[in-house]
Amino acid sequence: MGGGGPGPQGGGLPGASPGPAPGASPGATSPGGGSGPGPQAPTLNCTKPDPGRSPLRRLNHVEYVNTVADLLNLPEATELASTFPPDEQGGGFSNNADALVVTGLLAGRYVEVAEQLAAVAVTKAKNLLPCDPTQGEAACAAMFVQRFGRRAFRRPLRAEEQTRYLALYMEERKAGTFTSGIEVVTRALLVSPHFLYRVEVGVPMAGATVVAVTPYELASRLSYGLWSTMPDDTLLAAADAGRLGTPEGIEAEARRMLTDNKAKQAIAGFHREWFGMDEVDGIGKDKADFPTWTPSLRSALKTELELFVEKVFWTDGKIETLLAAPFTYLNPVLAKHYGAPMPNSSTEFSRVDLDPTQRAGLLTNGALLAVHAKPNQTSPVHRGVFVREGLLCQPLPAPPAVDAAGNPIVIQPPVVTPGSSTRQRFTQHSTDPSCASCHRLMDPIGFGFENYDSIGRWRTMDGEAPVDARGEVVGTREVDGKFTGAIELAKRLAASVDVRECMAKQVFRYASGRAETPGDACTLQRLRERFDSRGHDMRELWVAVAASDAFRYRAVSGGGQ
Amino acid sequence: MSRILSRRQFLHTAAGGTLALPLLTESSRPARAATAPKRLLICFTPNGTIQNAWLPKGTAQDFALGEIMAPLAPHKNDITVVENLTMTAALRAAGGDAHGLGVGCLLTGIEPLPGNQFAAGMGGPGSGWPGGISIDQFIAERIGKATRFPSLEFTVKTMEGNIWSRISYKGAAIPVTPMDNPSMAFDRVFGCDTGDAAALARLRAQRRSVLDNSLAEFEALGRTLGKVDRQKIESHLGGLRDLERQLAATCMPVGAQCTKPPRSTLVGTKVPKYNLSNEDADAGADVDIPARHDAIRQMVVAAFACDLTRVASVILAPSRSPIVMSWLGIKGMHHAISHTQDTASLIKIDQFYAQEIAKLIADLKASKEADGKSVFDNTLIVWCNELGIGSGHTHDKIPFMLAGSAGGYFKTGRLVTAQKGIAQNDLLVSIANAMGLSDVTMFGNPAYCKGPLVGLT
Repeated sequence: MGGGGPGPQGGGLPGASPGPAPGASPGATSPGGGSGPGPQAPTLNCTKPDPGRSPLRRLNHVEYVNTVADLLNLPEATELASTFPPDEQGGGFSNNADALVVTGLLAGRYVEVAEQLAAVAVTKAKNLLPCDPTQGEAACAAMFVQRFGRRAFRRPLRAEEQTRYLALYMEERKAGTFTSGIEVVTRALLVSPHFLYRVEVGVPMAGATVVAVTPYELASRLSYGLWSTMPDDTLLAAADAGRLGTPEGIEAEARRMLTDNKAKQAIAGFHREWFGMDEVDGIGKDKADFPTWTPSLRSALKTELELFVEKVFWTDGKIETLLAAPFTYLNPVLAKHYGAPMPNSSTEFSRVDLDPTQRAGLLTNGALLAVHAKPNQTSPVHRGVFVREGLLCQPLPAPPAVDAAGNPIVIQPPVVTPGSSTRQRFTQHSTDPSCASCHRLMDPIGFGFENYDSIGRWRTMDGEAPVDARGEVVGTREVDGKFTGAIELAKRLAASVDVRECMAKQVFRYASGRAETPGDACTLQRLRERFDSRGHDMRELWVAVAASDAFRYRAVSGGGQ
Repeated sequence: MSRILSRRQFLHTAAGGTLALPLLTESSRPARAATAPKRLLICFTPNGTIQNAWLPKGTAQDFALGEIMAPLAPHKNDITVVENLTMTAALRAAGGDAHGLGVGCLLTGIEPLPGNQFAAGMGGPGSGWPGGISIDQFIAERIGKATRFPSLEFTVKTMEGNIWSRISYKGAAIPVTPMDNPSMAFDRVFGCDTGDAAALARLRAQRRSVLDNSLAEFEALGRTLGKVDRQKIESHLGGLRDLERQLAATCMPVGAQCTKPPRSTLVGTKVPKYNLSNEDADAGADVDIPARHDAIRQMVVAAFACDLTRVASVILAPSRSPIVMSWLGIKGMHHAISHTQDTASLIKIDQFYAQEIAKLIADLKASKEADGKSVFDNTLIVWCNELGIGSGHTHDKIPFMLAGSAGGYFKTGRLVTAQKGIAQNDLLVSIANAMGLSDVTMFGNPAYCKGPLVGLT
């Protein structure tokens, strides 16, 4: 697969405009034709809040199991994830609201799992009950419905709901016990649409197309956006107390939430999906050419990638460090693989400084270099696509199905012959006009990575000739121009508005669980301004998105008419 | 019935061990249908075929089966080979991966939604989810209310929830999740709760009130939503209404001579990696594929014979199948091989699938209706594929094969050659007609419909 990060769901068709403009609608961004600088930013009118789309969203399976584990105080419930059929995919990230639909099998599964969870939960009644039933069962049941219901629905129950759920208890109590009554209520709450979905109505306002979300809806947006689980008591208390009514109040909560381990887990999930880290698991290389490529090396490389991104994000946070750091985290197996100094520990991963003329951050990470390469050779195409789509957020058009004469084009990787360089093998991409119009956006970036072989090791020879790592970037605002080698490219990308803007978009997509729309232009612009004003600290994007219009308001039309 | 579960039991049961829904008792068997119903079974196998090994040699009514279909020789008089159909919707789609377009258009007959959910294999604009209802779900909506399950969907392994591993759709962008875990599938379709009568009555009453509460909430919520969001709630609601009907049903098989199949011990699998090199593919993970086919076949045949459903679909392997058929002596993944010149292996793979279809036919023939006819006599099997030629990713010359006459509606033992350019939409119309929906004259994108396919009746 071509690699690169998740693209916008329903993203733009290839157009003719050269580069993305700041705040331009993503549907119109495309690296199409020309190579000049992009058009100037259109003047945005950001005086009125515009939250984009506000689709109804089901909890995905990760969110569901995290939520039931928190709600019922049953950490082992997270093991349930493997018993669900996989979530339907929506492009981009796994929490994309548009893809999360339910048909018969999953509807039934929710009912079964609710029975199991409730049966286990009532055996730990102390965790579940806010009161002692021996002091009055009916009053205790009512208090349970009120308190537990508020956590299950992530908002206080409406009076009608309180009555209805208490009636469920009372009906069961006639033939059963206090405990079985609590169990039935728990089951019913766990299969309610108000539990399984994030139902939002907003603060009603006659005639408005955009309304503020309620404090509880905002609390859920924060908790699922930053934690992939339900709000904790502190967050619900902040909603109760009206502390989520201003950007400042939200920001304070977001900063607290980022110090919680749940944020570490959720943001690791974001990076795993953005950089396609799970693709590492399946990568195979030709044994004859790469005998050192083994499952244990592959798994160590994946650990390195995860560790590097996590450490950079949580200790320094700067995008420049992520993209250009001359250090990484290695164990001895990897030190040998990279030809790097041995780490201090003989078994654990520890920080190792690398040769800054050979390695710079994410782009020269061995796992990613290996993912974006063929089993027997490098792939300037895939490496270029990773930069273009993943880091510049520019979706690429498909290869043409037929050539100029109308004959079908069959695309096959070139045959590796001794003595031929990578560049020679891909000449058709630059000489055949039907290839060149798009491949000029990928291959010349990928050629800059020729110092790294198919498994990410440094090399100076490509076949029988010295490596030629000259490359070129076109179609961007601040990265354009010729360069030599991945280090120069990494530094240029790290300092560019293009990558900062792309990162802001990716954080937006994940935290809000949907692709951006034209209406989100102001939100994205503010995210980028915050990013710039806080020293390009990636953590600030999460704070900024939490306090954005997209989080504080909703479109009355929801997912659309 | 103990309501206290240890953690281990919790995970065991949660993973599909003992709990069975719906609550069904072994009593009160309902009256059997007076005339045996028609059944539809869709069988999907992937990655195109080797045309000259698949295609029969000869004329419409006097032909010899191709090499791939040799295992179907005992049933030659009961099958119809349909050649030369074109997947026009896939050809006209604006973007998307060739396999994904094929499998997405196959049973829907309409272009996918625009979008980038599913990347094109070589990069570039992908496609969204398929753009309409699939023929099996369309038929299930019309005839499925009579049975406990409107339809049943099976797949051979746990696959990602994407366009390549789904064939059935309730509507645009509403894929039907198939059952990938044979033991859980058994519990869902054939399972019964056990315990004393009083406890079962209590459990049933509890489920009734929980479900009623949920149905009311979903219905009320749906009324407040705009179109896009309401579709999600209605799809979920449809699943709950099926459960509601199941609550009222009995557990005992209801067909003439039907018995429950054995409960398979096979469970779900890890989602396979599509990007493995052939050297790295784990052949060992796939050796249970024939056993999975057996378990699914037994469940489908019993579900038809017991009249638990009249519509089923089986994904014998997903589009772009990464399955390694090491038990046939084949090295490498099917999809990877489909892009090579190794036609011998590809023929072997398709022969294996033909053999699996032959077993389905044989088992359905062995299952008797009340009037002594076989279930097969009232069944239509549609064997289909998302591509014509795998290596070329073609969307014409799609290999279709029908087995069974759907109660005498189709004439069988034929080779039907569609006129050039005729879309599979016409076959989908014929399938709806054969299943008793005589009012259906178009299906999918109307622009590709010319009426029922000529030569089948």
